[in-house]
Amino acid sequence: MSADEPALRELYAKWLDRASKVGFALCVGAFILYAGGLLPAYLPASELPRYWGLPVSRFVALTHMPQGWQWLRFVGYGDLLNLGAVALLALVTPLCYARVLPRVLAERDWLQAALAAAQLAVLAAAASGVLAGSG
Amino acid sequence: MDPAAPWWIWPIALFAVSFAIGIVAVLAGVGGGVLFVPIVGGLFPFHLDFVRGAGLMFALAGTLAAGPPLLRAGMASLRLVMPLALVGSIGSFAGALVGLSLRAELLQTLLGILILGIAVLIWRTRAADRADVEADALGALLHLEGEFVDPAARMKIDWRTHRTLLGLAAFGTIGFIGGIFGLGAGFANVPALNLLMSAPLKVAVGSSGLLISVINSSAAWVYLERGALLPLIVVPAILGVMLGSRLGARLLGSTPAPVVRRLVIIVMLLAGLRALSRGLGLSP
Repeated sequence: MSADEPALRELYAKWLDRASKVGFALCVGAFILYAGGLLPAYLPASELPRYWGLPVSRFVALTHMPQGWQWLRFVGYGDLLNLGAVALLALVTPLCYARVLPRVLAERDWLQAALAAAQLAVLAAAASGVLAGSG
Repeated sequence: MDPAAPWWIWPIALFAVSFAIGIVAVLAGVGGGVLFVPIVGGLFPFHLDFVRGAGLMFALAGTLAAGPPLLRAGMASLRLVMPLALVGSIGSFAGALVGLSLRAELLQTLLGILILGIAVLIWRTRAADRADVEADALGALLHLEGEFVDPAARMKIDWRTHRTLLGLAAFGTIGFIGGIFGLGAGFANVPALNLLMSAPLKVAVGSSGLLISVINSSAAWVYLERGALLPLIVVPAILGVMLGSRLGARLLGSTPAPVVRRLVIIVMLLAGLRALSRGLGLSP
């Protein structure tokens, strides 16, 4: 069977709209807290110019900035709270796919369901950091 | 700009540049990421690793915001996007891994060549709308077809695509290149959908935005994992392009688009030459 495309688009659009608005609002809020100095920074902004011209591997080695999901342990710091808000933007697409998947399964559109599940698996692999490592 | 300037100058300058790119990209009909990476990489003191990470988020943010209206208008097709995005996001993921392992000089050189090539592509590409396409077997299996109401032509347009295998290969390659250089790759998505697969131009443009939002999400995680997303660079860029794009959309009716398009091509040629000369060690 083939799922109803306009209904599917509307469902995806609704979740994309809501999730991206929430993501952007959190990004702006977290940035105000960080750049405005309302929260302490793990690496103060005034020190960043010493490091931001370096390759990322060297940057991480010198600053000991948390990588991957480690920011979750340091959300009391403005810069890492902000990084978490940026990461939420990268979670918007998986969220939309996760919402669409049960719908296409319910409509027995196995091909679309397989594509959505495979896409979720790719995004989950990327987000998990298992394959990306920290080089 | 003076590298010794106080730190807060840079996010403000980045916001201003991103705002300008947002306006120009809408007026010229090109993705902003393709301007952001070479311009910011050439003019700002940030390492290319951080610029590419910000470039991915820059393109991702723009397409997340634009997605809902395009989907609702039927100009972005989920059926078309899902198989292509799957291949593209695998390519993008691999590209991000490769890109973060390359030396900056080599990346600058390759970026320069790529941007010069894209400028020529934008200059030479002409859109084509073909209504008489026969779907191939894979396209028929994947239901790569649909309909939308074109408000300009005031008519319902039924469409289908063909050359599905070639399209999948193209999006794997586009994703890989986008992942390496932190680009949204709308410059390549639209011709691949429109000229190669024969999707109508409006469906190609709308679906390209949705494709970028999926494809860039996988590469963004690699940059995040490696520590190449700096909020002080990413957030001003995102905010700048979003506000700039809104103003660009308002100016769209009153600005001579061909003039802006030519201006963008000239800027891209200059930015490409700058990246190339830096990569080859001919300029600092």
